[in-house]
Amino acid sequence: MPKPTTPAAKAKNTKLAFKSLVHSLRPYRVAVVFAIILSVAAAVTGLFTPKILGEMTDVAKDTLATGLDWSTLGQKALLIIFLFIMSGLLTYIQSCILTVVTAKYTRSLRTAIIEKISRLPISYFDNHQFGDVLSRMSNDVDIIAMNLRQEIADLSFNIITIIGVIVIMAMTSVPLLLISLVVVVSSILVVGKIAAFAQKYFRKQQTILGELNSKIEESYSGQIVIKSSFHETATLDDFDETNKKLAKTTFKAQVCSMLAIPVTHIFTNLGYVVTCIVGGYFVLEGRISLGDIQAFIQYVTRFNRPINEVASITSTIQSVLAATERIFEFLNEPEEESDPVDAKTIEKVTGAVEFHNVSFSYDKEHPIIKNFSAKIAPGQQVAIVGPTGAGKTTIINLLMRFYEPDSGYITIDDVPTRELKRADVRKMFGMVLQDTWLFSGTIAENLKYGNAEVSDEEVVRAAKASNVHHVIESLSHGYQTIIDEDSDNISSGEKQLLTIARVVAANPQMIILDEATSNVDTRTEHLVQAAFEKITKGRTSFVIAHRLSTIRNADLILVMKDGNIVEQGNHIELLKKNGFYAELYNSQFADN
Amino acid sequence: MLRLFRFLKPYILQIIVLLLSTALQVYCTLRLPALMADIINNGIVPGDTDHIWQAGLLMLGLAVLSAVGALVSNFFAAHIGSNFAKDLRRAVFKKVISLDLVDTKTFSTASLITRTTNDINQVQQATIMILSMLVRAPMFCIIALIMAFETAPDMTWIIAVAAGAILLSVFTIMLLVVPKFKIFQKLLDKLTLLTRENLTGLRVIRAFNKEQYEQDKFNKENDRMTKLIIFIEKILNLQNPLINIVFNAMTLLCSWVGISLLQKDIAYLGNMSAFAQYVGQVMISFLLLSILFIMLPRANVSAGRINEVLKTAPKIHWKKNTNGTPSKTPSVEFKNVDFTYEKAEEKVLSNISFRAEVGKTTALIGSTGSGKSTLINLVPRFFEATSGEILINDLNIKDYSREDLMKLIGFVPQRGMLFSGSVKENIAFGAPNASMEDIKAAAKIAQADDFIKKLPKDYNYHIAQGGTNVSGGQKQRLSIARAICKKPSILVFDDSFSALDMKTDAKLRQALKPLAKDSATLIVAQRVSTIKDADQIIVLDKGKIVGKGTHHELLKSCEIYQEIVKSQISEAEYKKELEEARHA
Repeated sequence: MPKPTTPAAKAKNTKLAFKSLVHSLRPYRVAVVFAIILSVAAAVTGLFTPKILGEMTDVAKDTLATGLDWSTLGQKALLIIFLFIMSGLLTYIQSCILTVVTAKYTRSLRTAIIEKISRLPISYFDNHQFGDVLSRMSNDVDIIAMNLRQEIADLSFNIITIIGVIVIMAMTSVPLLLISLVVVVSSILVVGKIAAFAQKYFRKQQTILGELNSKIEESYSGQIVIKSSFHETATLDDFDETNKKLAKTTFKAQVCSMLAIPVTHIFTNLGYVVTCIVGGYFVLEGRISLGDIQAFIQYVTRFNRPINEVASITSTIQSVLAATERIFEFLNEPEEESDPVDAKTIEKVTGAVEFHNVSFSYDKEHPIIKNFSAKIAPGQQVAIVGPTGAGKTTIINLLMRFYEPDSGYITIDDVPTRELKRADVRKMFGMVLQDTWLFSGTIAENLKYGNAEVSDEEVVRAAKASNVHHVIESLSHGYQTIIDEDSDNISSGEKQLLTIARVVAANPQMIILDEATSNVDTRTEHLVQAAFEKITKGRTSFVIAHRLSTIRNADLILVMKDGNIVEQGNHIELLKKNGFYAELYNSQFADN
Repeated sequence: MLRLFRFLKPYILQIIVLLLSTALQVYCTLRLPALMADIINNGIVPGDTDHIWQAGLLMLGLAVLSAVGALVSNFFAAHIGSNFAKDLRRAVFKKVISLDLVDTKTFSTASLITRTTNDINQVQQATIMILSMLVRAPMFCIIALIMAFETAPDMTWIIAVAAGAILLSVFTIMLLVVPKFKIFQKLLDKLTLLTRENLTGLRVIRAFNKEQYEQDKFNKENDRMTKLIIFIEKILNLQNPLINIVFNAMTLLCSWVGISLLQKDIAYLGNMSAFAQYVGQVMISFLLLSILFIMLPRANVSAGRINEVLKTAPKIHWKKNTNGTPSKTPSVEFKNVDFTYEKAEEKVLSNISFRAEVGKTTALIGSTGSGKSTLINLVPRFFEATSGEILINDLNIKDYSREDLMKLIGFVPQRGMLFSGSVKENIAFGAPNASMEDIKAAAKIAQADDFIKKLPKDYNYHIAQGGTNVSGGQKQRLSIARAICKKPSILVFDDSFSALDMKTDAKLRQALKPLAKDSATLIVAQRVSTIKDADQIIVLDKGKIVGKGTHHELLKSCEIYQEIVKSQISEAEYKKELEEARHA
């Protein structure tokens, strides 16, 4: 049975991909070589069954008149049984060895990917889609897992079988061998042509399928708009058009790919018939025996499959190499600079932060922060304001060392952060982001995320301080309630409260907060606000601010516009300046 | 799966042709070994060369015929399979866009998309497999059985042994492995989930220095996965060698039995060889069948998921034609409206009564879960009120035809949702006859004209799927323009202003004023500043109206409203507002 023909992805650099694949398989080389040897042995032991069966027929035919020679026949039968059981056993051992190898290999790939994720700089993920990394982790690893094992074993098995069958057939009758070779080779050529056609249509089918999928996705997520615009008929017509196109291409692709089977059959049958006729003459002429022709017919059928498989192997190898390339491309991405060996430590953090002539740009061409200096005393609050897209998170990226400044440096308690370990810098901050990420697990586990040592009482205290205790209590399992990605038992505002509680439980010296704008309703927002005021007391804090109250009480306001810090100072100073901040501030009361 | 086969009805004739051509192919293929036996018995053994030629040519003819049969049946299998999938896809798509919002919500959009795409592909693949293989296998079995019986009746029992051996080995393996597949799938999902979490939680994980912890968590599952795979594969690996052994054993058995029968009849010399091939064919058929039985459950799950969508009936029934004449003056009125989600106990809305008049703006405010979004969705009848009446232009919405009601309402959803196509097409989405002037006018009001003009090809700028090439605020302004372009008499904004900055928000509301004169406007909002000027503000709390009046009235009287206002402005400003209210 031919494998389903799906469009084969090609590696951009086949040689390099092959090299990295072979190189990464090195630890398993002994096992792989052993498995190949077993596979060759299995092929060889499996070769002789038809030949011996043919001999049995001959013995029977020759001894029929004088009474069947049962002892010779019995010996041959036992030999056959021994051979096919041996062959089966060898195949089994070989495939188990390769199973273990592949499973361990794919496990190491997965581990390598997940470790790589934690070593890559944040900028990598800001510039690449998650889906891309995910598909390397699942699809590409799967492709390797599924094909590698099979290809190693099958390739050697099939090549040996082909060679063996040719040798045995040649020993029986060269003319008959030539006939079958001609038939088989022409069948492969024709089937190859058809497969190329099928590939073309499958690719086209894939494109149209993608088109249709996006239409479906768009229509489903825009259902409200379609309904309220009374647009159903037009939407359905539009869908129909692509749907019909898809059916047509699918049909063509299917016909082409299924054509391979009957075409192979025609050739097989043709070879079979010709072998019968020519072989019949040869027997009559006494050039070969009846048993030989019986064996020959069986070999002809055994011949077909391995040749087809070897022929189709290139596309499988291509897709394995493409997957390998994508995985190693990811694994070879440049990593975050490692921490200095003689990293300093700060015993007791007071929370004095200073920016010394910091310059930064994401892409070198567009400088975002130019020569920025500011001194923040312990316990002070810094507000970062500006319109959407002004680059307000940049400061936070630099503080947390998600990104490094191009020049200048930041100090915490007079120690430059780059002389500290990244982990130590991050430990000093508690971060509450707009994106309220919680992992799937119980609420208690999530709250203990920053500090696993925290006791249950402290977790409850943190939840109370963050105004989220009563929300948790009202859930069906309280602190043991499991939340996951699409859990809708808690609102996004409540999730934000949980992330605040998570920070409170970790008890950091400094706080970073990205205020939520729209998704939180006003009353929850009120709770968030109150919780936040509580936890920033006595701690240095950085707030990406949207609220007037936060802005006005801040000790330092950084005003950002188009990626630049355009003004800094406190509320009263900035209003006096009557610049961008004043404009921004007054616009909030446009209709007053 | 079977239930979906009603979609095969239009193809019944083609299926018959497919069956006949398959039968032809199978018959012709299976005649070949018998003819070979004939060549051996009546050509080679007696030395009759003419007979070899005759039988040989007949074989050639049959080989060609069998190929023709195969080609025809494959053609139809592909044709039926792809068209069946097309029909099915259309049916599901049509159903989904006609479904009530409540149902779409319970299925979730993502799942509906999978059902229309992947699930249907699964069913299509399975159908083509059934048509091309499942149909063939039993025919092979039956015809091979008959022919085997004809050539060597004394050996027929071998077929039963062979089939039994194949079935036994395949099913034993499956019995051991199939239960593990479920665990396997779960672990796979878990691994994907963990990877996703590592990506989506990137910043948090690093902020908390949890890289090692996350890796350990992942590696634990990774190890479990590896162990399970090795276990499953070790059993699955048995399959190939086992089947090979059965094949070889059966061939040997045929020869052995054939030889022992030779003394009775010399014809077994050719027959046993033919017979061995029949046995082989029967075993292959059974093998294919068993593979199908492994594949089918997967397709069956998909089919079940598709069926679930297809059998969901819309619960909201629309009149074909509007029954009665609505008044010319726009208005929206709720009379004692209750709303409860199906199977839920608590009312989401209870006893809602209010009237929104022409030229006036009615605003709805309240916390999450107050039911304001649900309330607004009742107006275009996306949800059906459980009890009470909703009147639009003084006619009950249940008396409208869908088309007539939708014409009246311009609805702006919470999230700016655009379709791939030009800016122009997007704005005219609900008003196919709108002129370019209408479109521009709508864009101007929605404060979208300025940024559209700056786009390459301005109004012909192509919006990508999901509107990813415009910003959130721009998306929202375009979707407001789309609603305005319809020139509706009822304007509904479901929290549509939150994505706008306060400046644009204010400008837009200013620009809306002339338009709002001839329509009734309903606004759901988060920000008090958005609705301060509304003629009527309705404060919702836990599904009930707890306050109704103007900003100043509510500041004085409604406690919940006060709380909301307090949360959005500073203490000092609040006092100022309160002061103003007292003197107003």
